[in-house]
Amino acid sequence: MTELWEVLSEHFPELSSGFWVTVRLVAISFVIAMVVGTAVAALRIAPLKPLNWVGAVFVEIFRNTPLLVLLFISFAGLRRAGVPIDAWVAGTASLGLYTAAYVAEALRSGVFAVGKGQIEASLSLGLDYPRTMRYIILPQAFRTVIPHLGSLTIAMIKNSAIVGVSLLALPDLLHQARLVNSRTFATNETFFWAAVGYLILTLIATVVVRRLEVRYAIHR
Amino acid sequence: MGYLFNPDNWEWLTEGNNLRFLLEGFLVNLEIAAVAIVFSLYFGLLLAMLRLSRFRPVAVAAGVWVDVWRNLPLIFIILYLALALPAPWKDFYENNVPGFFPEALQSGRVFAGILGLVLYNSAVLAEIMRAGILSLDRGQGEAAASLGLTYPQQLRYVILPQGLRRMVPATVSQLITLNKDTTLVSIIAIQEVMRHGRILSSGFTAFTGGAAAPLLQVFIFIGALFVVTNFALSRLSRRLEIRERKRTGGTAGPVMGLEDQTALAAETS
Repeated sequence: MTELWEVLSEHFPELSSGFWVTVRLVAISFVIAMVVGTAVAALRIAPLKPLNWVGAVFVEIFRNTPLLVLLFISFAGLRRAGVPIDAWVAGTASLGLYTAAYVAEALRSGVFAVGKGQIEASLSLGLDYPRTMRYIILPQAFRTVIPHLGSLTIAMIKNSAIVGVSLLALPDLLHQARLVNSRTFATNETFFWAAVGYLILTLIATVVVRRLEVRYAIHR
Repeated sequence: MGYLFNPDNWEWLTEGNNLRFLLEGFLVNLEIAAVAIVFSLYFGLLLAMLRLSRFRPVAVAAGVWVDVWRNLPLIFIILYLALALPAPWKDFYENNVPGFFPEALQSGRVFAGILGLVLYNSAVLAEIMRAGILSLDRGQGEAAASLGLTYPQQLRYVILPQGLRRMVPATVSQLITLNKDTTLVSIIAIQEVMRHGRILSSGFTAFTGGAAAPLLQVFIFIGALFVVTNFALSRLSRRLEIRERKRTGGTAGPVMGLEDQTALAAETS
């Protein structure tokens, strides 16, 4: 028991720096996932077949490829090919685009839940397609799928550990825990504190999502 | 772009045993996934039952167990088990692993990987199954009870068949995630497709023949293997689901996810 606290007090700087790297990684990837996911969802429901296909291909590729493979392609693969890509760019882009595919699918289902009638009504009122999306459909779609987006965000927090493990230049919480473990051999204690770190993040995300859900969600 | 599609950079695929080497690695992933799926479904159902137990302490304990495992990163669980699993456990696995398991799954090292996959996925699946069962109308259980069925009988004949059918789509998408997550066991040095890909592109070609393969192309190919398999799986499950619904005449359940409901509505109308 004493060793549990010793590990924390002696290695707090490393573990907390790892924690904040994870937070930053998740925050940047979250923005990418939401922006790209919304754009891809708009492609998938656009009234033009070729655009639908582009969106569908994006979703199927990024949703069905393991994140670890995406990381290998975007970092080691591109570097070997002569593109001097930064670890942060590769890591956040991989995690962000991987999640974006899921976000796009969630939003698309949200748009369908809003219903065709609203799109038709909006178009017949003279709004063009982008404005219909921007002012009528997407605001409702987002609110419909808040719980779904929440669970995707939690999945993203967990997936961020994959980024930290495979990219050495990105010392996140799990990465730091492994380093501390390799020096102290206190495996149970070190991983206990890393687990606490991840559970704090997923718990905060859960609470925030529940708040948002209570305030904004539309139940259909 | 020129680099990516330059035929010279794809020549490795036909050289020596390279292609076969990659596919053999991929087969190990599929085998690990198959074993993990069977155990995850089994323990997932068990955990869901425990969570719904009428004996409060059991329900609470199962709830804590499920919430802890499904909120930790899978890669974290696998790494921890690889480091912390006592040697006797691994020996026990090695001595008791069924003979019909493929050779790649016979070693004790794989045990940490499979155990991690099962711990995580059984918790996630338990939550899905619980949602499926809870989405059933209370009246179903009450009607069964008033017909004189005992609680186990109610579960077996009335609640589970309906509740589980509702969560098939959510389960399948979780199993596809599991299939992708088998790549994570490469972190604990299990020889599967990621490791084989790295060997091919490392220049260590003593037994693969030819020169080092370009890493970018190798991993794009590996990604394609997963895309094809997982895409086929999700299409197949969607087909089966729609046929099942048409046969039973049921409507989309609330656990299906809006996407499946819209797809179903489009194809049955």
